[in-house]
Amino acid sequence: MSWLKHPLTGPVIARIVVALMVLATTDRFLGPGNLNNLALQVSIVALVAIGSTVVIIVGGIDLSPGSMIALLTMLLASMLKFCGVEFWLAILLTLMAGAALGCVNGLVTAYLRIPSFIATLAGLSAYRGIAFMFNKGSPVFDASDWLEPLFYGHVFGVPLPFFYIIIFFGAAHWLMQHMKLGRCIYAVGGNASAARLSGINVRRTQFLAFVIAGFMAAVGAVLMSARLNSGSPNYGVGLELQAIAAAVIGGASLAGGRGDIIATLFGALTITIVQNGLNLNAVATSTRNVVIGAIIVLAVGIDMWRDEIGRLRLFSKMRRSAVAPIREGEHQ
Amino acid sequence: MQSPDFVALELRDICKTFGPMVANDGVSLVLYRGQIHGLVGENGSGKSTLIKTLCGVHKPDEGLVLCGGQPVHLDHPLTARALGVATVFQEFSLVPDLTVAENIQLGRWPGRPFRVRWGALRETARQVLGDLGIQISPDAHVGELSKAQQQLVEIAKGIAANASIFILDEPTTALGAPEVSHLHALLQRMRANGAAILYISHRIDEVVRLANVVTVMRNGRVVSTAADTPLEVGAIVRRMIGKDIEKHYAKAHAPTGKPLLQVCDISTDYGVSGATLTLHSGEVLGLGGVLGSGRSAIARALFGIDPLTRGELRLRGGALKLRSPADAIAAGIALLPEDRKSEGLFFNFSGAQNITIASLNDYDRGFRLDLKRERAASRDLIEQPQVTPEAQYQLVDRLSGGNQQKILIARWLSARADVLIFDEPTQGIDIGAKEAIYDLINTITRAGKGVILISSDDQELLSISDRVALVRGGRIARVARPAELTKSDLLETTAERIQAA
Repeated sequence: MSWLKHPLTGPVIARIVVALMVLATTDRFLGPGNLNNLALQVSIVALVAIGSTVVIIVGGIDLSPGSMIALLTMLLASMLKFCGVEFWLAILLTLMAGAALGCVNGLVTAYLRIPSFIATLAGLSAYRGIAFMFNKGSPVFDASDWLEPLFYGHVFGVPLPFFYIIIFFGAAHWLMQHMKLGRCIYAVGGNASAARLSGINVRRTQFLAFVIAGFMAAVGAVLMSARLNSGSPNYGVGLELQAIAAAVIGGASLAGGRGDIIATLFGALTITIVQNGLNLNAVATSTRNVVIGAIIVLAVGIDMWRDEIGRLRLFSKMRRSAVAPIREGEHQ
Repeated sequence: MQSPDFVALELRDICKTFGPMVANDGVSLVLYRGQIHGLVGENGSGKSTLIKTLCGVHKPDEGLVLCGGQPVHLDHPLTARALGVATVFQEFSLVPDLTVAENIQLGRWPGRPFRVRWGALRETARQVLGDLGIQISPDAHVGELSKAQQQLVEIAKGIAANASIFILDEPTTALGAPEVSHLHALLQRMRANGAAILYISHRIDEVVRLANVVTVMRNGRVVSTAADTPLEVGAIVRRMIGKDIEKHYAKAHAPTGKPLLQVCDISTDYGVSGATLTLHSGEVLGLGGVLGSGRSAIARALFGIDPLTRGELRLRGGALKLRSPADAIAAGIALLPEDRKSEGLFFNFSGAQNITIASLNDYDRGFRLDLKRERAASRDLIEQPQVTPEAQYQLVDRLSGGNQQKILIARWLSARADVLIFDEPTQGIDIGAKEAIYDLINTITRAGKGVILISSDDQELLSISDRVALVRGGRIARVARPAELTKSDLLETTAERIQAA
């Protein structure tokens, strides 16, 4: 029964339950068009949520990626349409700009010691403000013919965003579980003063977590631009909340030190499937948002209440250790 | 005196299990008014569970709690409070941003809704504090008080709530000698006024000095009832651990006389002023002195936490500059912090990961940590000081205090530290684990490393150290061999400090 303790168990079960519920209400869910659509829909939130998860694990929070995406899509579209920058160079510059914005968040948070909630709340406001300074605040349409294939293209009949998810989640998982930086991120989030007394450079670790988050926001921005072949200061509104929700549904603790990258992917899938299912059933956007709110509370609640549920002896093996952050490979 | 009229609270055959673990197995205990009842036992013997039953946090699976001869259901902390039970835990239930007066009557401020009668609030507080002989201003903010003062406020809070049954869980762990005697005097006065007091402590000598009767617990049972336990340290210790300890402090002497760390006239802005000392390889150098004398401040300076404003450090003759703990660790200096929970342990990590966190560079292959080697190394480090094997995968919050402390020591062995500063290494851990830690210290010194030991347990300090440096006012007042010192010497530095103040 050790699978019950695995950190992925909760998010995976949640996803399956949600998928079954959607299945029960509509027969269009499994249509090839819809599944494809689902993969495309989840990709941007999921990739941005990688950054949110890393920041949450280090003990902070990032409220700015939605606004960063607005700014970065404007930057990318303007570079391509008005400045005639080489396509791949523009992509590269956009990714670097995202990392640079992450540096700003990291500097303000880690080195100027402004609480990350405040620092990135400021970013949430400021970055979208800057986005409106491009092109007199109007969206940039038809940025480049090269953009759309980046999102809608296929390799071996599989949509490209699917590969982005595999690559970035694989890399992030490796970073967090198999690299020193990842271990330090968990350590700083778990107990910052103990981390300092263990010789870890706490500020640098926090800083790097925000840089990763900025970079992942830029990846999301490139895909957003590619999907709509444009840039707009109005893109990405509320995306930061969806990304945080994905991380939290995946079991990340806002107290820091606990969370799992792969679980976040399932968290993002859960949110997207719910949205998709409600869409297919022609439920109004307003209702949809209420339902997602309820799911966030439920998902976190189920995690918090595991002890109580365990005491009911329904799931006697479900203990708090189920949220163990780092898996040890071979359990003896 | 032990007539039924004086029974304040009685526990009868309390059983409590947590999953497969039996925490309390048929525990009975009677608290009488006008008595201080000592409760001792090693970590994991079931004391904490029993206390939590008494104050309404845990509901017992079986057994009765009787108050005034009537069975009561302590199903909530408020029920216990209504029955007059006040508990002073190691972690205080005080609000740091409120004043002493506000804290003392927390939840029962006089006045009508929306209008507190501040005058009455302060008057009551002043009265309670005055009755207890506690010299703390009711207007002081609790967060600015010392730990010892907070302890007294916590007791005053119980008195103000008309409590007559007091449960004190390890009340002296954070206190220096003068504060302890102050607290004991207060408890004795409370006893004279008819309070029933349950006093839990690892410091057996304190319990023997203070308590009228002592109950000893082991493995969830009462192994020696109040009527059976003699008030004598040796006898109590034997009952606690269930065997005779030949030599409480096994001490290996390994000093080589070769200077390892030289501290020359250092000062910091945080409590060190002109400290000079030398640690030799293979030596345990004890730092004696009272709370606030600068012992921990010296430790912080040697570990690169507080920057030096004056003086210099030399390690094996070479000059040493420390700008951060990372520098100190790289140079081979380690600090076992006094507060292992908030400054030592990562509760989101397994025992193994807690051990390797300070030596991750050993396993770092650029883009990859060698997890296999990490696992193997940590397994060895867990076996060596006999940490429970569960520690390999178990999160550390599930481990006992002794195991947690061994893991923190293993962390520094893994980092190959040569100078180990142990700040209160045996605080709040049981005797078995203490011995394991003394063994570890012996192993360390035999390997030619040096240990700086800070301990408020005078007996321990005098038995384990090769030399003792008495710290006063942030500097070293005197260095002597333990044989030349007595407990009163350690107290003398205290007395002088009090006169100076």
